[in-house]
Amino acid sequence: MNKLNNGFTLFLSLLVEAMPFVLLGVLFSSLLLFFVDERKLVEKMPKNPLLGALVGSMVGFLFPVCECGNVPVARRLLMQKVPTSVAIGFLLAAPTVNPIVIWATWIAFRDQPEIVVLRVVFSLLIATIIGFVFSFQKDLTPVVHPTIARYLKFNPPSELQPKRRPKRSQIQQESGIPALLQSGTYLLGVGQAGQTMRLESTNIDTTTPSSSKPLGAKLRLALENTVQELRELGAILVIGSAIAATIQVVAPRELILSLGAGPISSITAMLVLAAVVSICSTVDSFFALSFASTFTSGSLLAFLIFGPMIDLKGVGLMLTIFKPRAIFYLFALAALLTFLFTLIVNLYFL
Amino acid sequence: MTTISNRKSKISKLLLPWLDILAITAWGILLLKYWLTNELNLLIHPNYFGLVIVAAFGLLVISIFKIKELLQRRRYDMTANIQHISLFPPGWGSALLLVAAIFGFIFTPQVFASDKALQRDFSELLGSTRVKPQAFRASVVPEERSLVDWVRMLNVYPEPDRYQGNKVKVQGFVIHPPELETEYIFLARFVLTCCAADAYPVGLPVKLKESREQYPPDTWLEVEGQMVTETITGKRQLTIAANSLKKIPQPKNPYSY
Repeated sequence: MNKLNNGFTLFLSLLVEAMPFVLLGVLFSSLLLFFVDERKLVEKMPKNPLLGALVGSMVGFLFPVCECGNVPVARRLLMQKVPTSVAIGFLLAAPTVNPIVIWATWIAFRDQPEIVVLRVVFSLLIATIIGFVFSFQKDLTPVVHPTIARYLKFNPPSELQPKRRPKRSQIQQESGIPALLQSGTYLLGVGQAGQTMRLESTNIDTTTPSSSKPLGAKLRLALENTVQELRELGAILVIGSAIAATIQVVAPRELILSLGAGPISSITAMLVLAAVVSICSTVDSFFALSFASTFTSGSLLAFLIFGPMIDLKGVGLMLTIFKPRAIFYLFALAALLTFLFTLIVNLYFL
Repeated sequence: MTTISNRKSKISKLLLPWLDILAITAWGILLLKYWLTNELNLLIHPNYFGLVIVAAFGLLVISIFKIKELLQRRRYDMTANIQHISLFPPGWGSALLLVAAIFGFIFTPQVFASDKALQRDFSELLGSTRVKPQAFRASVVPEERSLVDWVRMLNVYPEPDRYQGNKVKVQGFVIHPPELETEYIFLARFVLTCCAADAYPVGLPVKLKESREQYPPDTWLEVEGQMVTETITGKRQLTIAANSLKKIPQPKNPYSY
């Protein structure tokens, strides 16, 4: 009975501690989408693959989205002909390398600042390396989703981007498919009557000229986005916290201790856990915290680095960008690099 | 058939936004309730109380805006409805949040007790590796040091003989580690750095003059005595030789930070 009580208390404490960060992340991403001009950003991206991957990894500071929000943004970046290395760097690093996630990690691991620093450094490194590797694939057709491949084929990268932001109708024409036949989701009746507006997953498409919309409509979209993300991330948080609490209370202590103390077994266990739990990056440090006393620091790092890059719920979203084979390569590379870096930490440093 | 499914989807379109609002409002109120009933103490570190309180109001403000918007929209624009790719079927996300919030209202958080502390090895209990001193005040009189202060001192200067004969007056709860002989108890407190998920027990062994039977686990005690060095489980340990043990009620804020 006491175990059950402990489990419930643990569950609630994780939720209560993480809720402000979910709210903050959601609000920040909803508001910032209005202020950051993706197109201007795209124009400034470096063409050098290695530099591009590094810069792409750091764009997360401008888009504080967690892993559910970064996929649609990465997709848009690719469509706007950003070099692949930039888009992949962004895709993998943005959920970790952003101010809210860093702050949350700091709060959870105040007494182990090395975890906070290494989380950011390793995420940047891994995202840059993978972005660089993918930059060798010049023809994207075998890698990306057929829709994107077709789009890129008909709009070759050599074409100069128009300096001004195109109008909404222009975007629909550019994609080569009539608006009504495009896949994806739309906001109906927002702005002027009868117009549809594309909504990429949980994020508002910033390619639409927000300046042409009245402030009221913009705020309404921000509110809608906030509620949607809050609902989604909140629910994932509930499930994640329940899993953490259950593992702590139900899993036999000997098993956890034997798994958690080995330098290799602990990392493997945490990598698997990261992929399965699919908890949002703004709050996953609190989740990892519940393992802090029993697992090696390297394995906690592995959870914190690998989790935001890849997880089960993200796969569905990623399938809108890449072909399954490319996603497999991404996973394998990310897992191997995370394993390697955190093993070095376990064996030589902490 | 189609009319039925149409009606169904119409109803769900009408109801789902209200489910969102209900879930968000419930979480706002739950966080406020934890704050007002002092139960936040049992869940998270006091540093983050402010954050939680602001979040509670933030959630309530969002739900107020959303209610206002829904009421206005009903009047002139029924079609504005958003579908988006989402992990959960419609309604599931907010339903899950709502259920968690209702559960939070029903269940009162419990203070962790000796059974959780005993999930660790005894050597780990004594090692107390995670309590790093944040600040150090050497001028504190020994009998004014708390249990956690003692453990921090030991962390910085681990030689038990250094504290020999120092007077002690500390409060904590009783653990009966099976490795300890029956004239010893372990007096412990949980330390939080972030939230209850990382609660970590620290403490010191106490040497009694009699058997530990009259001090069952989880009893809160105020122990007075002096420091001695004992050999426990093959290791020299700083131990409190108790002169007096007073049962006290569980403190309002049972955790240390």
